[in-house]
Amino acid sequence: MLQKQNLLALLLLFSTGLLAQTRQVRGVVLTAETRQPLEGATIAVSKSTRSTVTNTQGQFQLELPDDKAVLTISFVGRENAELEVKAGQTDITILLKTGNNTLDEVVAVAYTTVKRSGYPGAVTTIAADKVNNRLTPNITNALQGLAPGIQTTSANGQPGNSSTIRIRGVGSINASSAPLFVVDGAPYEGDINALDPADIATINILKDATAANLYGSRAANGVILITTKQGKKGSDVAINATINQGWSSRAVKDYDKLGTDQYFELYWEALRNKALTNGQTAAQAAATASGKIVADLGINPYGTTFPQPVGADGKIVAGARPLWNDDWEEGMLQNAQYTQAQLSFAGGSDKSTYYIGGGYTNNQGAYLASGFKRYNFRSNLTLQAKPWLKIGLNLSGASTAQDYPTSADSRQTNVVLFGRTIPSFYPIYQRNADGTFKLDASGQKQFDYGAYRPNAALTRYNLIGSLPLNKSRNTNENLSARTFLEVAVTKALKVKTSFNLDYINSNSLYYTNPLVGEDAAIGGTVSKSSNRFLSYTWNNIATYDFDIQSVHHISLLAGQEYYKLNNSGLSGSRQKFALPDLYEPVAASQLIDFSGNADNYAKLSFFGQGQYNYLGKYFFTASVRRDGSSRFSPDSRWGTFWSAGASWRLSEEDFLKSVNWLNALTLKTSYGASGNDNISGYYAYLALHSIKNNLGNGGVITSRLPTPGLKWESNLNLNVGIDFGILKNRIYGTVNYYRRTSKDLLYSRPLAGSTGFTSVSANIGELRNTGAELELNVVPVSNRDWRWTLGINVAHNKNEITSLPQKEIISGSKKLMVGTSVYDFFLREWAGVDPNTGNPLWYRTTADGKKETTTTYAQGTQYYAGSSLPDVTGGITNSLQYKQLELSFVLSYSLGGKVLDADYISLLTGGPSPGRNWSTELLNRWTPDNKNTNVPRVTTDDLAWTSTSTRFLYDATYARLKQVSLGYNVPASLLSKIGLKTAKVYGLAENLLTFYGHQGMDPEQSVDGTTYYQYPQMKTISVGLQVGL
Amino acid sequence: MKLYRSHLFIALLAIGSTACNKQLDTSPSNAVPEEIVLKSVANLTALSEGTWAAMMDDFYGGTFGNPGYKTITLVSEAMGNDVALITTKYSFAPVYRFTQMSDKTQSRLNAIWNQLYRIINNNNIIIANVDKVTGDAAAKKVLKGQALALRANTYLTIASFYQFSYLKDSLTKTAPIYTTPTTDTTRGNAKATLKEIYAQVFADLIEAKGLLEGYQRVAKYKINADVVNGLLARAYLNTGRWTLAAEAANTALKSYPLMPQADYGKGFNDVNNSEWIWGHPEIPSQSDGSYSFHFLDVSSASSYYYSFMADPFFGELFEAGDIRKTLFSWDGNPGREGWLQYKKFKFRADQTGDLVLMRSAEAHLIKAEGYAREGNITDGAAALNVLRTARGASAFDPAGASKEQLIEAILVERRKELWGEGFALADIIRNQLPVVRKPYVDAGGADRIVTVTTPDGKTKQVPAKYHSAFKFADGKDFTANSTNYIFVVPQAEEQNNPNLLK
Repeated sequence: MLQKQNLLALLLLFSTGLLAQTRQVRGVVLTAETRQPLEGATIAVSKSTRSTVTNTQGQFQLELPDDKAVLTISFVGRENAELEVKAGQTDITILLKTGNNTLDEVVAVAYTTVKRSGYPGAVTTIAADKVNNRLTPNITNALQGLAPGIQTTSANGQPGNSSTIRIRGVGSINASSAPLFVVDGAPYEGDINALDPADIATINILKDATAANLYGSRAANGVILITTKQGKKGSDVAINATINQGWSSRAVKDYDKLGTDQYFELYWEALRNKALTNGQTAAQAAATASGKIVADLGINPYGTTFPQPVGADGKIVAGARPLWNDDWEEGMLQNAQYTQAQLSFAGGSDKSTYYIGGGYTNNQGAYLASGFKRYNFRSNLTLQAKPWLKIGLNLSGASTAQDYPTSADSRQTNVVLFGRTIPSFYPIYQRNADGTFKLDASGQKQFDYGAYRPNAALTRYNLIGSLPLNKSRNTNENLSARTFLEVAVTKALKVKTSFNLDYINSNSLYYTNPLVGEDAAIGGTVSKSSNRFLSYTWNNIATYDFDIQSVHHISLLAGQEYYKLNNSGLSGSRQKFALPDLYEPVAASQLIDFSGNADNYAKLSFFGQGQYNYLGKYFFTASVRRDGSSRFSPDSRWGTFWSAGASWRLSEEDFLKSVNWLNALTLKTSYGASGNDNISGYYAYLALHSIKNNLGNGGVITSRLPTPGLKWESNLNLNVGIDFGILKNRIYGTVNYYRRTSKDLLYSRPLAGSTGFTSVSANIGELRNTGAELELNVVPVSNRDWRWTLGINVAHNKNEITSLPQKEIISGSKKLMVGTSVYDFFLREWAGVDPNTGNPLWYRTTADGKKETTTTYAQGTQYYAGSSLPDVTGGITNSLQYKQLELSFVLSYSLGGKVLDADYISLLTGGPSPGRNWSTELLNRWTPDNKNTNVPRVTTDDLAWTSTSTRFLYDATYARLKQVSLGYNVPASLLSKIGLKTAKVYGLAENLLTFYGHQGMDPEQSVDGTTYYQYPQMKTISVGLQVGL
Repeated sequence: MKLYRSHLFIALLAIGSTACNKQLDTSPSNAVPEEIVLKSVANLTALSEGTWAAMMDDFYGGTFGNPGYKTITLVSEAMGNDVALITTKYSFAPVYRFTQMSDKTQSRLNAIWNQLYRIINNNNIIIANVDKVTGDAAAKKVLKGQALALRANTYLTIASFYQFSYLKDSLTKTAPIYTTPTTDTTRGNAKATLKEIYAQVFADLIEAKGLLEGYQRVAKYKINADVVNGLLARAYLNTGRWTLAAEAANTALKSYPLMPQADYGKGFNDVNNSEWIWGHPEIPSQSDGSYSFHFLDVSSASSYYYSFMADPFFGELFEAGDIRKTLFSWDGNPGREGWLQYKKFKFRADQTGDLVLMRSAEAHLIKAEGYAREGNITDGAAALNVLRTARGASAFDPAGASKEQLIEAILVERRKELWGEGFALADIIRNQLPVVRKPYVDAGGADRIVTVTTPDGKTKQVPAKYHSAFKFADGKDFTANSTNYIFVVPQAEEQNNPNLLK
């Protein structure tokens, strides 16, 4: 009935008859259409600083300063409501319409909060529901696709590993390009794995100078500001429990490899071709190949009946078939489970709030012996001790254990590489010649360590057998505290001091067993390390807010901050275990090494900010910050950073107020300078000699040249944007254009190696990221039963070097020059296969500038071959609700850019590496009958065609269905019977589908576009239950 | 009251924040500022020790394929005649096929180049400052002598691998020379000729010889006058000053009697061996250099790669009765059947092995070659025969032998005696010879069959394994003075040294 009246805010008022002198009001905020409770709605008392947020049941409790007050109720994606509370009214129900107006929400920015509408800064908010229930323990893995301008890549998908995040492009060449994480108001230095995504209330990504630069020294690469959940004042305890049970596997299939018959026939051809080049006749060569094949591969999977399984015609002889087909890839995988459980209690009295949460996560890896486990708790408390004094303590702790076998290396023990390398004709368990298993005395199958295997098939290794006997474990204990004490000196002036601490005690144990596998010959090895990491930030902030004649709103902030980091560790290793089943160094008889070191790092900062707006239409902000870093010499350690921003809410102007379809329109711009001191090494000014002891004698060796003048890298960030909302905010969004110029780059200027140094740190060079971002939210359908919301974000970034100390700098597979990006490939260019000979060709440019082909790799010329950086990144979020059913998904995508797939090369080496798995692409090799191909002839000679070249450069474009969620909210009518407030059953999937072009390679690789036999991403599917009481 | 408390609170904050300004001074725990190093001779000695450790026990370029100074040894051997490399094993196949050291973009070139010059620069710091620092004069003398000698050794290494033989053309530009410490304004020096580099080597060695006279060393990794004489002998040999080479070698070898035959099979891992003039002891906590044994040690179960197998023709150079002949056997282990093991290098039980840098056997051979090339057949043959006799090989008969025959015998003996010690490629360059590798096949072209003993004690007939690269990558035959033998100056040096070609 009330809906029909189409009010801005719909309310039902109940007067309970209680007397007004309590000055307490409580209530519940529900969706207008389905009467579902809204968690996280903000209720603010007008003309005061009081506000609260609803709990999971949508309830809130608020103390009113006067008998009468006006409340403003806001919620992301819904229209604001204003409501006058009359004297005597204590219980209210508020229904919020789907207004889709995020523009009015309050967002956290550096050291303070602001109302989004009219704010000149560029801030993207990620709501809790997008990250709370994700099948990854690491929040960085959950951000992909959720915000424009955030490039997130997870090169290594091992459970417990983080993603690399770049906000608005790569901002530095040698210094760090990683954003700053801020948790509950202070820079977070703890292990990102210790942060349970379920505890997160919101994530704000600060991208421009106005929003981020108050963090001056650390804001150069953007800020990811995480706010954890708080209880609500005056609300009953809300208990929330969640449990998920899921199953994980690889997100994409590995490279296709040859079957046994194909392998034998192709290797026969390689042997035959080699014999032909050795001068044998065709018949001789065929016979040589048939005779040699089993000896070369060390095994005959066709059994003794067929001593020469490949005939003189190069085909498997009639009747021969492999007696076994052991999938090593499959053998290296495990039945991985994903288990996650959380329990939280939130609530508050009239003077305090609390949120207490605990969680357990067990994320087993797709590959053997890998996994991540976490136990965590969080306790967020605030107390209004006196009317003028407020204190708070957020304390969180986590104990994590990561089983971490090698997964990013060319080593034989790499779990990803191992299964990929060994072909299926080598048995996993020992077999007799007839294919039956060789059993031990107790009738058990025995692992085959393959001493007979050729070198390319990893002789003497069988990780399927040895890995469960070894250990590679990192265990961390994390403790993180955020405390504050806030004094309201007057109504307008507040002073807040906060002390924030992050502590990690990390231990690692790496053990190889003395019985079987790679270190059996030396009796096993063990190395153990222990590290204490402590960082704290102490800041003191004064804020002064006042209005002049209710038209000029002024907000001033001044502060000081001190940051200290101490990192201290020790490590040791021993080998030679006399006895099995003992894992600690004490049991190993031979000391190898013992060492330890410590580092200190400190920063001191002073900062101020002013915000002004006139009539809520014209906004101006300005900030300045001065930072001193212990990284630089006393003479150059201080840097000054600043920002200025302005915005104009056009939609508040009279001439636009009459335009019905336009609900919001704000123009905004900002500019400012922020700093970066984050280069490797904490002592970046001294001429240093590092310790290099020699045989019991103290020793040192040069490690860096003096750089007394080295100073902050600075980042000049221009942002111009429009916030808009049209058609009753059914369509709303933001468009931003930015230009980030990093100058005085903290650059390792390359030196000629003959000087005894390969580089010297210098403030040289300039880098520019230019780009545009669009965030668009659409609500195509919203009615009583249906609600469909769609979010699209698109970002384009162009990375360009604008100044360099010298003409060009070659580094690995890349070359830097003015005009190129920081990750432009510089490679020898593949010229295909010579149709006449089947030999590989590369291009070279002769002295007189002619481009021609060469058969010698070393003579090939290196050319630019495109950048690894994508042209466009973004995501699509979709949520569809029908009555109690919800379906949502997040699709992230990345268009453009290139990956140099060195992993794949290892499957293409072919003839020179007998016994290693071969890609199916080799079937398309050059033969006299197949002259136009991209794969040279097969032979056991090394044709060098697998040397790094553009041949192995692949398009990095991909899209990934990061998350899918299908849930059912049990109706309240049913729940009340069993005493529950809410209940939801759901299915979740992470990385369910991947769309990509290069078979076998997980498209998420490192930002610089290189592969390194990394652990691929996992796909996880789970079912879950969420209950509130 | 309320205001008063707040003011107190603000005052406390102000006091707190001013107090932390000095906290911005920090210092590292694993490094020291330069001024401390340049304070005293004791501290400068630490620079000498550290430089030595970095030379021997850093993985050059941070990869296991480059285990310290022995990297150069491994590269030199892999490019010679007598190591038949298992090319499917880690790291050295492109070296063996001559496609790596001639390609300026390869990272191994940077790794070696950068580390050699880092050693030079650190020695330059010692040489430039040793006379200024406080401390004992005798200690200064020794420190300076050792720094000069080590700098000379490094330039000698560069001259041996980065250009053709001095005797081919001593005026070819090779590599830059630095004799003063690098500062933050140093941009790089121009390439010097072989002649200039050797002039520096001789100047340094002769000065070092004077400074180290009478110095009694405490360990064999320390450079003394014997080591300097050995280095002089090498440098004289490279530059064709035959008599001087023979005399210097003769002085170097005096205190180092050839080892008893029983010691020859002990694995070349003990610095205390009587004939080691210069070597580096390895200990478990400082054993990156020992990683070279993973390539050279072909018989220990704990060896990872065992890829430096012997060419079967090399095995045939030895006669029965020669103690060295007993170290050969055909590998019968599954997966490596038919390779010829030369069990010269073996890990010790703790997975370390001392690293040999100079033996009196080499000095005997330099002495022999110096005399022989000078035309002194008698003394040349005598010097050669001291070694041959010690090893149980038959003596070279000087009667009626020509100078060329004697030189040929000495060069073969160098291959036999110094296998795996890094002289293979250096000798090919120095003597302007082609690499020689032949297939080990019978008259019909089929692999020769050899008998191996499998781990279960049974014998078995298998085809012998031998070389796999008989030509350069472009299909051309191995020739003398090929650019494929020379280490090229890395691309990074070309790019970043504006003066290189000036």
